[in-house]
Amino acid sequence: MLTRAPRRGARLLGPVQWVALAVVVLLLVAALAPSVLAPGDPFAIAPAEAFLSPRWGHPFGTDESGRDIYTRVVHGAAPSLVIGVAATAIGIGLALVLGLAAALLGRVVDFAVSRLLEVLFAFPGLLLALLVITVYGPGVVTSTIAVGLATAPGYARIIRAQARSVAGAPYVEAAVVLGRSRARILGRHILPNAVVPVFVLVTLGVGQAIVWAAALSYLGLGAEPPAAEWGAMLFAGKNYLATAWWMTFFPGLAIVLSAAATTVLGRLLQRREVR
Amino acid sequence: MPTPVPARRLTAIASLVTASALVLAGCSAAAPEASAPATPVSGGTLTYATGFGEPTCLDPHVGGNMPQALVGTNVLESLFSQDETGAIVPWLASGATVSDDGLTVDVALRDGISFTDGTPFDADAVVANIEHMQDPDTASSTAILALGKVASVEAADPLTARFHLSEPDSALQESLAQTWLAMESPAGLARGMDANCAGPIGTGPFVFSEWVKQDHVLLTRNDDYTSSPAGAAHEGPAYLDEIVWRFIPDPATRFAALQSGEVDVIDEMQPADVVAASAEGSGFGVLTGALPGASIRLELNSGYAPFDDERVRKAFIKSADVNPGIQSLFFGTVDRSYSVLSSSTPYGASFESEYAIDADEANRLLDEAGWTSRDADGYRTKDGERLTVDFPISTNQSIPAEVSLFEQIKETTKAVGFDVELHPLDLSSWYGALAAWDFGVTSAIYTKNSPDVLRILYHSDNIQPAPSGYHPNHSHVSIPELDAALTEAGETSDPAEREALYEEAQRILAEGAYVLPLYDHLSKIGYSDRVQGLSLLPTLQIPYFGDAWIAG
Amino acid sequence: MLVKAAWGVAGGVFVLWAAATLTFFGLRLIPGDPAQAVLGGPGSQASAEALAAVRAEYGLDQPVWVQYLRYLGRLGTGDLGSSYSLRQPVAEIIGAQIGGTLLLAALSLAVAWVIALGLAVWSTRGGRVAAAVGSALEIVAAAVPHFWLAMVLVLVFSTTLRWLPAVSTPGPAGLVLPVLTLALPLAGFLGQVMRESVLDALEAPFVLSARARGESEGGVRWRHVLRHGALPGIALSGWAFGWLISGAVVVETIFARPGLGRTLLNAVQLRDVPLVVGVVLVVALGYVVVTVLTDAVSRIADPRLRSAS
Repeated sequence: MLTRAPRRGARLLGPVQWVALAVVVLLLVAALAPSVLAPGDPFAIAPAEAFLSPRWGHPFGTDESGRDIYTRVVHGAAPSLVIGVAATAIGIGLALVLGLAAALLGRVVDFAVSRLLEVLFAFPGLLLALLVITVYGPGVVTSTIAVGLATAPGYARIIRAQARSVAGAPYVEAAVVLGRSRARILGRHILPNAVVPVFVLVTLGVGQAIVWAAALSYLGLGAEPPAAEWGAMLFAGKNYLATAWWMTFFPGLAIVLSAAATTVLGRLLQRREVR
Repeated sequence: MPTPVPARRLTAIASLVTASALVLAGCSAAAPEASAPATPVSGGTLTYATGFGEPTCLDPHVGGNMPQALVGTNVLESLFSQDETGAIVPWLASGATVSDDGLTVDVALRDGISFTDGTPFDADAVVANIEHMQDPDTASSTAILALGKVASVEAADPLTARFHLSEPDSALQESLAQTWLAMESPAGLARGMDANCAGPIGTGPFVFSEWVKQDHVLLTRNDDYTSSPAGAAHEGPAYLDEIVWRFIPDPATRFAALQSGEVDVIDEMQPADVVAASAEGSGFGVLTGALPGASIRLELNSGYAPFDDERVRKAFIKSADVNPGIQSLFFGTVDRSYSVLSSSTPYGASFESEYAIDADEANRLLDEAGWTSRDADGYRTKDGERLTVDFPISTNQSIPAEVSLFEQIKETTKAVGFDVELHPLDLSSWYGALAAWDFGVTSAIYTKNSPDVLRILYHSDNIQPAPSGYHPNHSHVSIPELDAALTEAGETSDPAEREALYEEAQRILAEGAYVLPLYDHLSKIGYSDRVQGLSLLPTLQIPYFGDAWIAG
Repeated sequence: MLVKAAWGVAGGVFVLWAAATLTFFGLRLIPGDPAQAVLGGPGSQASAEALAAVRAEYGLDQPVWVQYLRYLGRLGTGDLGSSYSLRQPVAEIIGAQIGGTLLLAALSLAVAWVIALGLAVWSTRGGRVAAAVGSALEIVAAAVPHFWLAMVLVLVFSTTLRWLPAVSTPGPAGLVLPVLTLALPLAGFLGQVMRESVLDALEAPFVLSARARGESEGGVRWRHVLRHGALPGIALSGWAFGWLISGAVVVETIFARPGLGRTLLNAVQLRDVPLVVGVVLVVALGYVVVTVLTDAVSRIADPRLRSAS
């Protein structure tokens, strides 16, 4: 998947890519400086204004406590993205260690790591997350770690395969023949070629991590209320799906859009990378 | 000598109807003037979906929680029942005589009743049941606590069970009315715990005939039924052939299943759904009743900082503005309560003025208590410590609208400088936090059909945890006068004296700001229009299907 | 060949042992007393004697490593033990619950496959617009949280249109919404991968030569391209199995379906150690079996692997 050649005539930035780029820029602004887009307080309640449908002043409507959903969606970008990025970083970080160790440290390590990955794979991801959360209590930090752990084995497999194929590549063999040191070979040849493509995985994984964190929120194991986190908002809103669709529609849209946009950009990088 | 059953009808307690727009169709379901065809039809299967969990054992003597009581009430019957005023009425018993010293209670039993396995119901059966509940191997928690003052039981004659008490117990008959102390066939009990858990045998209108784990329990009609409770609409066997008792944990799915017709009756409705189902012409009705016992309330942990300081407790209660939220979140389906006791429990006393909102006063009290500085986020601090209140929430007990209300409490108390941290937890973790006193405030449900619930919740004896770590006195209240009032009220049988003592106890709780009452814990039953004759048994506000039938 | 098979079996046993061990000790870290799970769950006011009796009966008063060795010993004889909360042999509970989950997972996988392959083939032959639409559909489908999708499906098809039941029913109608809930996001993933493969195949020399031999376009697509496109899908099926089991926890809860997912969630919440470990073992076994199967199918479907082995 990572080694595919770019397709003939594939333009780098089509309209879809431009839209995705715009979404990501908007996301970053919302995450870094939410007050620019939504100056209000995402936690300010107004029971008298509960369940208002989208209208002037409340473009996304209000929730069961009269909080402005637009403000909450904007302020929710930071925690949601942090969960997504951090969980993916944990997953890939762990995977890098395991995957590279397996690929480069000889057969015994490879055997051990491969078995470990098999075991982790055999665990349903959600069970791993459930265990982590019941041990350490629900919350943003634990659900981030839980999602990160649950995704690590998948990444580790890809990295191991990648590193092995690079290690067997002609230019590495050539370097060995030329008598270069192991460290130099690792640093100059294997790491860049094996690891850099992995960063593409990050963009692909962020969206998925956000979705899984939302699933944990559904089971009551995610961010603690009244956090303006998209998964938690979705969870609170689902009880009013029939009467106040806007409570779930807008946070849901934010999740889908950010997951989709990061995926599109990830693919873009992937193509550039192989060039 | 069987006692004739009073011809009073069971009706739902309609105390909660506030908004005039909200006509709860359910109140008419059991009433005679219902416009539905008057002649009940026999036959048919009714599907019930519960949002309470699936019991791990169908015998309510074992453990003893709400899911067991719900499914068990239509199979297992009690010695006594209650009418809608909370007064004791006979059921399997025909009456009770208390000795002058209050230490001996003779319970007279109705003649001619048999368990569905053919075992006759007599004094020996009562003895076997009480001994079963008190046997440590049964692992009862609710029944054994309710029988705390019962030293022994004997069969004085075949139709008289004699209870010997260690001290007088004014709540004994109320306790015996609960499904957790229901009468089961001694032959059934003798089968051992595993068999009895899978299908206890009672005298009720239905029998347990199948239990497919995580799917349903099947109840089938008892054709020889003779022991209808007081107020039942008819004598003799039920109309329904069978009841499929399903477990649907998600409230939105449960309501959707009712709407799309897969189930006929659901419980634990959400407020918005109550409004939708109550609407004229919706095709559905709602039956509501206030569960007896304690109201839904916040318990302030007075044993530990920061709520060990009465001023801080008062400041919290004076800043927790809940009325607007109760109105908007519950759509007028509940009334604000100012009493620790549910409106369906006798001797409740309201102290509305103690719960008035006053932010200025709250600020003054906090200043006085030394929480004078504020940190960057606007929370008060003292000696560099933030005024943090941990609030563990049981996701099994608190419904979503309630959690939203707690979020609003966090927000309104923030204005005076409290940092309330909400922690939704699964049941085991939540009990763990409570057992470790690792909380500032929490909300716990306690259902009991007697004002004696106050003794369980607020007597200092109940600060000491049971071996399992559970301590009902979450507020950590320890006041000698309160203990004395509660003990005395539990022993006297003079109603005027009981009332005065219970009022005194509730006054102490209100004035000391230990508890913030919110509203009654409501049983909210939604049903399809084709279900007729449904009612709630007043004892625990549990649906009674002995009179229910399915139209066309 | 025999040696290889023996290694495979040994690897599978190792995976099962490690999964059981990890879960056994993982659950020890969770606060909460398993003895209480036996005595009617948390919050029960169980007496000291009752707790002690239960601890002795289930061996909970022994050191953890003794409990572990005993458990392993029993496991070795095929005995999964007895559930704390349901008072039933674990094997019996799993036996009663596994059918529903396997049916749900298998149907979801099949439906996801059909949707993904259909989308991949359609969008690769329909020009740029179709490609963009197909790609967008896949990406969006993969990004939808399934619990939310479930609620929307119930709202549309049960509450509003009243076409389909909102909860499980004896007939096949009750399966439609749960299967769709799991299949749509999965189809998004599979579709993304398959399309890349299909596109590759369309440009591959063997397709060119097939065209040159005069095979019809439909024939080329069915015989070569589709098979090529299916390969990564097959390879991903092991992963998809785990994904479906995780999804089943959510879906079975929402649609009130009996099954392993709901059993697992309840068991974790009640600290029912034998039941959790039992379910984990069965799922791990399922994963091992699925992996072996997908390897075999890949070999059959991919001529390159066949010649290599």
